[in-house]
Amino acid sequence: MASTSTSEPTHPVVFITQTPYPLPTQKFMIPASWKRYQLSQLVNKALSLPKPIPFEFLVRGEILRGTLTEWCTENGVGEEETLEIEYFESVMPPQRMSTLPHEDWVSSVSCQVPGYFLTASYDGALRIFDYSQTLLQTIPAHNAPATSICVVPSSAESPDSFLVASASHDLTARLTRIDLSQPKQPRAETLASLHLHTAPLSSVAASSSHILTSSWDGLIGLWDTKIPETDEVPLDEAAAAAGENRKKRRKVADDGEPVPRPKRKAPAQVLKSHTARVSRVVFGRGESASAAYSCGMDSTVRTWDVENGLCTSTITAANKPFLDIALTQTGTSALAASTDRTVSQYDLRLASSSATTPSVASLAHPATPSCVAVAPASSGPASAAEHQIVTGAYDGVVRLWDLRSTKGAVASFKAWDGAKKVLSVDWSRGLVGVGGEGGVEVWKVGDGEQMPGASACSCPSTDVDEIISTHDIRTTRDVFQLSVYRPPMQERQ
Amino acid sequence: MAATDAKKLSKKRKVAPEEEAPVPAPSAFPQEVGLEMGSEDEDGDEDEASDDGEVEDFPEIDASSDTEDEGDDEDELDDEEDEDEGESDASDDSLHVWPKPKTVISDITGQPIRVYPDIEPDYDSDSSTEDTPNRVGDIPMHWYDDLPHVGYDINGKKVLRPARGDELDKFLKTVEDPEAWTSAFDKNMQSDKPLTSEELDIIRRLQQNENPDANYDPYEPTVEWFTGKGKEEVMPLSAAPEPKRRWVPSKWEKQKVMKIVRAIRQGRILPNKPKTASGAPQFYAIWNEDPSTGPAPAPAPKPTLPGNSESYNPPEEYVPTPEERKKWEETDPEDREREFLPQKYAALRLVPAYDNFIKERFSRQLDLYLAPRVQRVKLRIDPESLIPKLPSPSSLRPFPVYRSLQVPHEEVRTRAISVSPDGAWVVSGDESGLVRLWEVLVGKEVKRWKFKGKVGAVEWCPRMDVSFFAVGIEDHIHFLIPPNLPGPILTATQNVLAPATLPPPPATASPVKWNSVPAAQSSSDAPILTLSLPSSPEPPKQLVWHRKGDYLASVSEAQGGVWMHQISRRHSQAPFKKVKGQVQLVLFHPTKPHFFVATQRYVRMYNLAEQTLLKTLTPGIRWISSMDVHPSGDHLIVGGYDRKLCWFDLELSDKPYKILRYHARALRSVAFHPTYPLFASSSDDGSIQIFHARVYNDLMTNPLIVPLKILRGHGVREGLGVFAVRWVPRQPWLVSAGADGQVAVWCA
Repeated sequence: MASTSTSEPTHPVVFITQTPYPLPTQKFMIPASWKRYQLSQLVNKALSLPKPIPFEFLVRGEILRGTLTEWCTENGVGEEETLEIEYFESVMPPQRMSTLPHEDWVSSVSCQVPGYFLTASYDGALRIFDYSQTLLQTIPAHNAPATSICVVPSSAESPDSFLVASASHDLTARLTRIDLSQPKQPRAETLASLHLHTAPLSSVAASSSHILTSSWDGLIGLWDTKIPETDEVPLDEAAAAAGENRKKRRKVADDGEPVPRPKRKAPAQVLKSHTARVSRVVFGRGESASAAYSCGMDSTVRTWDVENGLCTSTITAANKPFLDIALTQTGTSALAASTDRTVSQYDLRLASSSATTPSVASLAHPATPSCVAVAPASSGPASAAEHQIVTGAYDGVVRLWDLRSTKGAVASFKAWDGAKKVLSVDWSRGLVGVGGEGGVEVWKVGDGEQMPGASACSCPSTDVDEIISTHDIRTTRDVFQLSVYRPPMQERQ
Repeated sequence: MAATDAKKLSKKRKVAPEEEAPVPAPSAFPQEVGLEMGSEDEDGDEDEASDDGEVEDFPEIDASSDTEDEGDDEDELDDEEDEDEGESDASDDSLHVWPKPKTVISDITGQPIRVYPDIEPDYDSDSSTEDTPNRVGDIPMHWYDDLPHVGYDINGKKVLRPARGDELDKFLKTVEDPEAWTSAFDKNMQSDKPLTSEELDIIRRLQQNENPDANYDPYEPTVEWFTGKGKEEVMPLSAAPEPKRRWVPSKWEKQKVMKIVRAIRQGRILPNKPKTASGAPQFYAIWNEDPSTGPAPAPAPKPTLPGNSESYNPPEEYVPTPEERKKWEETDPEDREREFLPQKYAALRLVPAYDNFIKERFSRQLDLYLAPRVQRVKLRIDPESLIPKLPSPSSLRPFPVYRSLQVPHEEVRTRAISVSPDGAWVVSGDESGLVRLWEVLVGKEVKRWKFKGKVGAVEWCPRMDVSFFAVGIEDHIHFLIPPNLPGPILTATQNVLAPATLPPPPATASPVKWNSVPAAQSSSDAPILTLSLPSSPEPPKQLVWHRKGDYLASVSEAQGGVWMHQISRRHSQAPFKKVKGQVQLVLFHPTKPHFFVATQRYVRMYNLAEQTLLKTLTPGIRWISSMDVHPSGDHLIVGGYDRKLCWFDLELSDKPYKILRYHARALRSVAFHPTYPLFASSSDDGSIQIFHARVYNDLMTNPLIVPLKILRGHGVREGLGVFAVRWVPRQPWLVSAGADGQVAVWCA
């Protein structure tokens, strides 16, 4: 810019963006000592936005953390080279909203029901919390560790009542109907158990009409959501004995009220192709809603035609036993976490014929990434949500990534004190539920809806840029002193 | 008388030539024939006259001649005469050396003149004085080949070449002329000349190896000049009396001798001094030794020629930069690539004196004075080239590189871990008796059992159709069933461990008791089957399953510590009646009915089917701590408390193929991965080392062992590190248990 003083070195820069706030495509001479904050102020002033929007700046696939000079010396770029800087709306630093304590490890958390959190724990119980962190009900659905929980999306039923599918080590998945008509006294009833697998189940996924279960025995079961009237699978003695035990326990829990035994349900289809444990199965999104995707310990990501029960394509990676998979918003690429400490992005549209499929991008973690969640469509501007994911790792750190900048996480936060493993993350409506060794924590990421009683973002909007700038320093130094930014809610408790 | 004597003498010696005979004649003949002799021509006459004289004497001389007519009886008499005549002759000769002149009245003047007889040249006189008509001298006679004459006589006249016949004439001449064979070719005269009898006599003497001089007498009688009869010395030369010392023994000599005698008596002088011990000859030819077979001494290296940098005014590019100068000054003088720094001077007169002159001279003096001039050979070997070429570890992925998760055991030593055959579960047992079952991937404990006593070993049954594991605690082996099994597998497991109908008890009662809970009452909370071993102070160190899952071998410290348990027959037996040494470990061969037994120092390999000892492996380890067999069954690794790891190629030898020593402390556990070409070893130094170990089917190719990774993270407590490592089947993951109570999973 012409106004820059001549004494300070400047750098030629061209700004590009995919946001609805484009700058004119001309070359700017930016003082080399500028940081993200000044650049963000520049964009805001140049566009004279009514409400200040903080921006992140991406230089050659790397988010600008320090000054331009530092970046240039680090990457060996000369002063005269024109830099192409992409900018997008920055993410507010994550804020801890609440803690949902659990006695045992939490294997899965779901935020899909508005106003409630559902958790599956290793003690075999499913729990319902509301946003005010009160435990509404504990459902002893399984007598073995529950590994996964998901809500069956249903539009036909009343919004207060919904169906929950949970998978467990006891070789079954169960369908539980939860009635929330009375907000303080929800009623839960386990309706059916899904019998197919001969090894512990690893995950369960549901669409409006179907349920998918994956198991350690390499099979994927496809089920419909109808509750059968009678048992479709004959009762075997051991299961009967176990059922009696459970009934006894339930009697104690429910004050001796007899509960009908759940119906035994058989799979509609069995998807067989994995050669080792299937760790996660998900339904497709967008155009490929009828497809399912699964990943397994045999280092493959498989695409399934659910209606025909066929494996349509396979992505084979080299020595990457996958732990979790998530689809991006568009449904065209998959993010798979593997035990070699990477989360890899694969383009699902490429029909793979070669032995190993190269990944589009690879996000390196310092510990085993155990879970991946993609930003929900409703979170923030659509352009930003396409690229944002969170990953949880065994070092207890949840990282927020922007897929455009794969070299480092945009933001990260530590869920619990001490190295407690994160086993599950779920992201919905600006809230990230983190389940793991230390229970469940809920963090606010991005412009989410407000939790009742948690007036988190009370800071004036003009300070947003500064908050983010301070947060930059914090994340770069990997210091997790969150007490400064802890919302007032924490202090009140 | 004298003449006749001389003639007799000459005759008796038989060698007197005719010319010689008249030598004494002038003294004998002067009066008789002197008047007639006036010229040389008349010598013959005189000879004749002397001959005549001889003729007269002939009968007298005849006896001493060679003629055989006369008898030998007169020889003695002749000898006597000879002596007398010899004396008189000699005296005559000495008196008359030269012949006396004759006084002759000259015919011309009538005055008496003294005429000396002609000098008769003797045999040994100059031959050139012989009468020869040709006077050309000693020249090559072929100069005259083309001329009609052969030379000139003393008067300058030509001496004509005598007529010479052809070869036939020569031949005829030799046949006809009896003297032809005694003639010789006279070069000077170019003609044959008959040899004289004297010449023939000389030839004969030479042929007989005699002295060619006929006058030489080797047996001449001695001439007694001062002794003999009448020549005695009667009067002494001096009248002085003979001194006493002539007849008194010498006192001084006696002293000297007595001194030596005393020295000999006292032993100071050894009379027969032994010769030098080395029997080497005192003198020998120094060049007689064989030449040395060693290489010739190497020639001194040539000094390199000076280049541009040695110049006093080198080009700019040879002048060192300040950085180079600084670097040169910082390096040690021995390590410098060159001993000087090029320096630039504009002119030769500006070059200063050599600054190191004194120093160099001084060191040279030191060299000459004391120090041997050792040439320091500097090894210029690239250290990289000494490292064996190994593939880079990144090309040998996957292998465990980081610790994925950790399961704490409340700070209690955890000695035993085992991974389920499907690779999903881990059982770990610690010294407080706690046995935990947890997921490999999540590390979440799903079940725990508490026993009394230390857990020594846990081991999953390798069968896939049933699922249970054995826990060795003190003198019991408990069999536990994990929870959440599918119905068929649970039933099968219960049937295996607690069958409804027990098999018939073995004929010989075993000290091992089998107690099982009936299947109906069994749960996963308590052991379904328990083996009670004979009481032993220590828990079983090791449990090993046969690959088919029917046999379980247990090793404990107690006497006869190896037991073989058969699940299907519910029977235990001790396979070895007595074992030399204490059994440390046992191992089943993965494919053959072989059984490895490791004692403190040896590994014995038995054939269980034939009950024979196959081989004894000697690792050379003082105390074996661990061992594992390659899934192919052809290779065995043995780890020891003395930090060594031995790799045995069982096909190859009883000695280790390779001995690796890389851990800082004792090895605790070694393990081969069942499918990946990996093995791991853990040690008391708290580290785990991962190796790539590729074994080729080809017997000619040696196994490739590449160190891949050192995994650190386990703490060392009281000198104890990582007790056990186990691989997760189907995945390149490792589970390790340490003395710090941590069980860790290491992922690729």
